[in-house]
Amino acid sequence: MPRTTTLECPGCPPLRALTFDELGLIKVIEARGKQGRAEPKLVERWGDLDSSKGVLAASLDDRKSDPFLDGAERCCLSSDCSPLIHVPSEVHWLLAVARRNGTIEVLNPLNGDLRFSVTNSSNNGVQPEDDPVAGLHLLARKNLELASRSFTLLTCTTKGSASIRSFELTKPAADVTSTGYSRTWSVGAGGNILCSKVDGSENYFLLGGKHVEMNVWDLDSCAKIWTAKPPPKNTLGIFTPTWFTSATFLSRDDHRKFVAGTNSHEVRLYDISAQRRPVISFEFRETAIKSVAEDLNGYTIYVGNGSGDLASFDIRTGKLLGCFLGKCSGSIRSIARHPDYPVIASCGLDSYLRLWNVKTWQLLSAVYMKQPLSNVLFYSNFADEEAEVVNPPANRLLHGEHIAAERDEDETPPVKRKKSKEKKGNKKEAKAKSGNNEACEEDGGKKLKSKKSSKRLKREDVDELS
Amino acid sequence: MGGDNNKRKRSESEGGGGEEPPPEKKMEILPSMIKNKEKRSAVHAKLKQQKKLEKRKKAKARDAAEKRALELGEEPPAKKIPKTIENTREVDETICKPDDEELFAGNDADEFSSILKREMNPKILITTCRFHSSRGPEFIKELLSVIPNATYYKRGTYDLKKIVEYANKKDFTSLIVVHTNRREPDALLIIGLPSGPTAHFKLSKLVLRKDIKNHGNPTSHEPELVLNNFTTRLGHRIGRYIFEEKEAKQIESKGKKTKDANGESGPKGKVIARLQECGPRFTLKLISLQHGTFDTKGGEYEWVHKPEMDTSRRRFFFVTVEESLLHGKKYISPDHCSSFKTNFVMFDSDDL
Repeated sequence: MPRTTTLECPGCPPLRALTFDELGLIKVIEARGKQGRAEPKLVERWGDLDSSKGVLAASLDDRKSDPFLDGAERCCLSSDCSPLIHVPSEVHWLLAVARRNGTIEVLNPLNGDLRFSVTNSSNNGVQPEDDPVAGLHLLARKNLELASRSFTLLTCTTKGSASIRSFELTKPAADVTSTGYSRTWSVGAGGNILCSKVDGSENYFLLGGKHVEMNVWDLDSCAKIWTAKPPPKNTLGIFTPTWFTSATFLSRDDHRKFVAGTNSHEVRLYDISAQRRPVISFEFRETAIKSVAEDLNGYTIYVGNGSGDLASFDIRTGKLLGCFLGKCSGSIRSIARHPDYPVIASCGLDSYLRLWNVKTWQLLSAVYMKQPLSNVLFYSNFADEEAEVVNPPANRLLHGEHIAAERDEDETPPVKRKKSKEKKGNKKEAKAKSGNNEACEEDGGKKLKSKKSSKRLKREDVDELS
Repeated sequence: MGGDNNKRKRSESEGGGGEEPPPEKKMEILPSMIKNKEKRSAVHAKLKQQKKLEKRKKAKARDAAEKRALELGEEPPAKKIPKTIENTREVDETICKPDDEELFAGNDADEFSSILKREMNPKILITTCRFHSSRGPEFIKELLSVIPNATYYKRGTYDLKKIVEYANKKDFTSLIVVHTNRREPDALLIIGLPSGPTAHFKLSKLVLRKDIKNHGNPTSHEPELVLNNFTTRLGHRIGRYIFEEKEAKQIESKGKKTKDANGESGPKGKVIARLQECGPRFTLKLISLQHGTFDTKGGEYEWVHKPEMDTSRRRFFFVTVEESLLHGKKYISPDHCSSFKTNFVMFDSDDL
């Protein structure tokens, strides 16, 4: 007797993700409920059905740290949007979306309100349809030095014109003015740019594409600092033309190592400080690599290809760690790693959003989104704590503490990353590594304590109020 | 012999063990558990006979009940619906719903909407693989007679990508490549132009016109397509792409069979229209649907068949249809369904 029911997915931890599709819709998927048992559901849909507004690139800026820099005012957002996200009254989170018709929209990632839109400047008379946006990045840290209410957009088109523009939000949900800082320069060298990435410190910009070797740009001076060199001809004397389809930095705070996927189904690791040719190069299946994403640990990468295969690799050795099997049949366009949970999301042409457990390679959930998807992003500060929703004013400060605790958590991964880097290094550093390990453990202990203490504090506060 | 003894002992010991828990004794002996072939076949035959008798009895009782109901003027008992793999099919969330606005918006935006809205006339180029003979050319001849506005070009030694370029230049809307293996057409590649998807089908069970009994001959009418059961999202897309693009559809409503026939034979009055098969009959099974034109190396797939998907017989990626040609009008009726296959039967009506 054949099995008539589909395998049940175990559900996933509470999370909130955004998907972008080719009809220009933005969909919000939320999983909430018991820890680890939540069923992700489509909760909101923003935008109208217009194929000319298909989303090409998206970037989300929802730093945990920033809202607390200005300190004082904090509250829960209105009930219509997710009450589980705690934001300052002056919402500073932004979502930038590049559309097919050449506009770049900046939205409020909590309720999808359009904050402002700008057309991508194509002053040389090129139609936006002919020169679509290949990369869009909201620079978060750049504007910390500037006024707190401004933001910076970095765009890069397929034909190779990059621009940095910064804008200022004059009033919440009101009009936006350009602060005047804008700079456009050409990055393409006759090819098509297909992938771009900004590193964690937001000083370096990585580019690559069809007939464009991977190159790294310094964003402060807008100068090219490094270019890759194509691998030599093979034993038959055949040279594979350059065609990069995806790229990512290995870790957030190291701009020197990055991974690139090519159209000739190769994954390559480059190290700027070592050499111009790839350090490691390995092949994955038979179709073009379409997306590459890094893990928090700094050595695991996730690779998705054109026929829907998704796998994780250890980039230090180039060995396959495991494949994610889940009847995925369409090209994987985008992979996102959840900042806290061991969960990745993949989406693509088969119009499913799939959530996977990284540790068990298990499919947690597959959500049918009706449209071929182009991008997926996770919210980094979605917490499923209904208790806090009930009495938001009581624990205003506590959120701060809680999130501060979370920030501690955030700070720990770099330590781990260092560890991983040192694994690659020589033995002398091994001692340092062990020291780091201890430090890491200590950190973990502190983190736990801080969480506990925050909870305790919360209870006390509630008591006082009652 | 020693072995036999051993077996007997074992069976005895098993029997002895079986006495203690009563349910084990109740378990009937299946014929497959008997090791002696003669005995097994005897038991099997007996069982089969029993089943047959029971079935006959049941049928008799059913008929009798129906007859009685008719005599008494009552409602006859409801007919039972047999379980098929189709009506016990796995729930598929991708099935298109008629009130889905996203679906219609997607339809408007896709590559074929200009042809389906009749803003553009479809123009089809048919070619073959490098070497073809025997049934291949005959099949193409029949396709040319059925598909309007189709032209055949010799393949020569051109690369497929070059042919795509050429067809793009000449404003073709789609390109069909019939692949032949061992003098038997075995695959169909349908490439949408200029940017449309590429569908790769496995072609099987091909029956040409001359081999069909009582076949008709196609007329110069524009064919009309009836697409049924292309309900999943993939099926919908394939349906829109392959069939509706090839032959621009005219009307799509049920009961048009009689309507069309009447329309054509207006002065004669009431005429019974019958279907007559005319075209090649074949089954298509989708292997892959690729985004963009033919590119096996760097291509991006919208759907690829993978063996890991075939874990259930009750999962259909899209459903079988039969296509028919009625006096130049095509019909597809839902008949026997099997997983993600498409059956084409092209019919022609009796000459009226």
